[in-house]
Amino acid sequence: MHKVLIIDDSEINLTLIRALVIKLGECEPVLFDNPVKALEWCRSNEPDLVIVDYMMPEMDGLRFIAGFRALHGRTEIPVLMITANDQKDVRYEALLGGANDFLTKPIDRIEFSARVRNMLALRTGQKFLADRAAHLANEVAERTREIRDRERELIYRISRAAEFRDPETGAHIQRMAHYSEIIARGLDLDAATCNLILRAAPMHDVGKIGIRDHILLKPGRLTPQEFEIMKQHATLGYELLKDSGSEILQAGAEIALAHHEKYDGSGYPRGLKGSAIPLFGRIVAVADVFDALTSERPYKKAWSLDDAMRFLEDGRGSHFDPLCVEAFLAGWEDVLEVRQRFRDEEVPVI
Amino acid sequence: MSPFVFDKASILERLGGDEEIFVMMVDMFLQDVDRNCQSLREALGDEAAVLQREAHTIKALLATFSDNDGAELAQTLELRAKTGELADAPARVDVLLARVAEVADVLRRLSVG
Repeated sequence: MHKVLIIDDSEINLTLIRALVIKLGECEPVLFDNPVKALEWCRSNEPDLVIVDYMMPEMDGLRFIAGFRALHGRTEIPVLMITANDQKDVRYEALLGGANDFLTKPIDRIEFSARVRNMLALRTGQKFLADRAAHLANEVAERTREIRDRERELIYRISRAAEFRDPETGAHIQRMAHYSEIIARGLDLDAATCNLILRAAPMHDVGKIGIRDHILLKPGRLTPQEFEIMKQHATLGYELLKDSGSEILQAGAEIALAHHEKYDGSGYPRGLKGSAIPLFGRIVAVADVFDALTSERPYKKAWSLDDAMRFLEDGRGSHFDPLCVEAFLAGWEDVLEVRQRFRDEEVPVI
Repeated sequence: MSPFVFDKASILERLGGDEEIFVMMVDMFLQDVDRNCQSLREALGDEAAVLQREAHTIKALLATFSDNDGAELAQTLELRAKTGELADAPARVDVLLARVAEVADVLRRLSVG
């Protein structure tokens, strides 16, 4: 049903136009003999077509159209203006001022029906396109969500692949990722960035895939030469992830490369110092070390929480960015909650 | 000005041959004509804008029944009211009212017959 708004100060014209519109079928006429009231109605109602007389007291058709077009969402709705045969200049002005077409007085049914039908067909097309655009936007959003979910899943699985060859567990990457997020929140980073580090942190050790088993899985202490090879996992991880179109993988590359840097410049692989170390690297360094200390490994017992906390405090400004340590300790309640949620025995899926 | 000639064929043609709408228009004209004439008469004592508006209404009524001469009378009055040329307005109103009465007469006879 098309809602056709008809505005004419002459009652006999209103009646005639209403009758003609009803004869067209599929139309619901809405009548106003006062353009000011009609404009008011248009604020909260959306007609499919407006038929407006030119010469009316209070507000003429041109001023009505200007007011109508200025309303939100009313720029495309077809408008027909009724003018007398001799008002050529008014017609030009109407067309320039936002009328789509005009009707001449006295009204001729054939002309009237054809023009109204054309305008309603235009409106139907507009609505169809708008519905289609909204439908497509939904579809795209849905598909994008699916792709993003799959990206997260793949990242988690790739990260797990690296951990499989390591004494570390799946729960470790979950915990350190959530610790990283806690620190990011404590540093007042925006929600998107906090979520980004949560998703990217699990990839920090993905370069271990490229370290040979006799070094990676060696039960005892590494020789200086072996340790040099072990250090390569940072660069290997970066090489594996860099230049990706994915924001998460880009962040993962940065984290892989920087998470063993130390605040005083004594870390590896680049020996960067202070704020020259990418922020994500400084954040993940705290999260990763804390979880390594407080987890049991074949070659060591788990440290107590107090000892691990002290280690972080002692390492402020030397090993760790003091602000990151502060943010981590400020989120201590959340840290304990994460430890509780991701235990080594059971690994919930992200 | 020539007398009003009721040209049903031409009016019906404009209405797409729709008798139902035609009858509705005639009824409406006859129903409102006395009130419209009275408003026009009274407008003489009012502001020019009121006279302009009433003449405009009468113009639409006469044009509906293809009375081009009558509609032109109304339009002239409307335009003169707009520009404030009111000296001969009473005479013009009289002529226009006579014309409306003439058209109403024809339509009334048609409606009764």
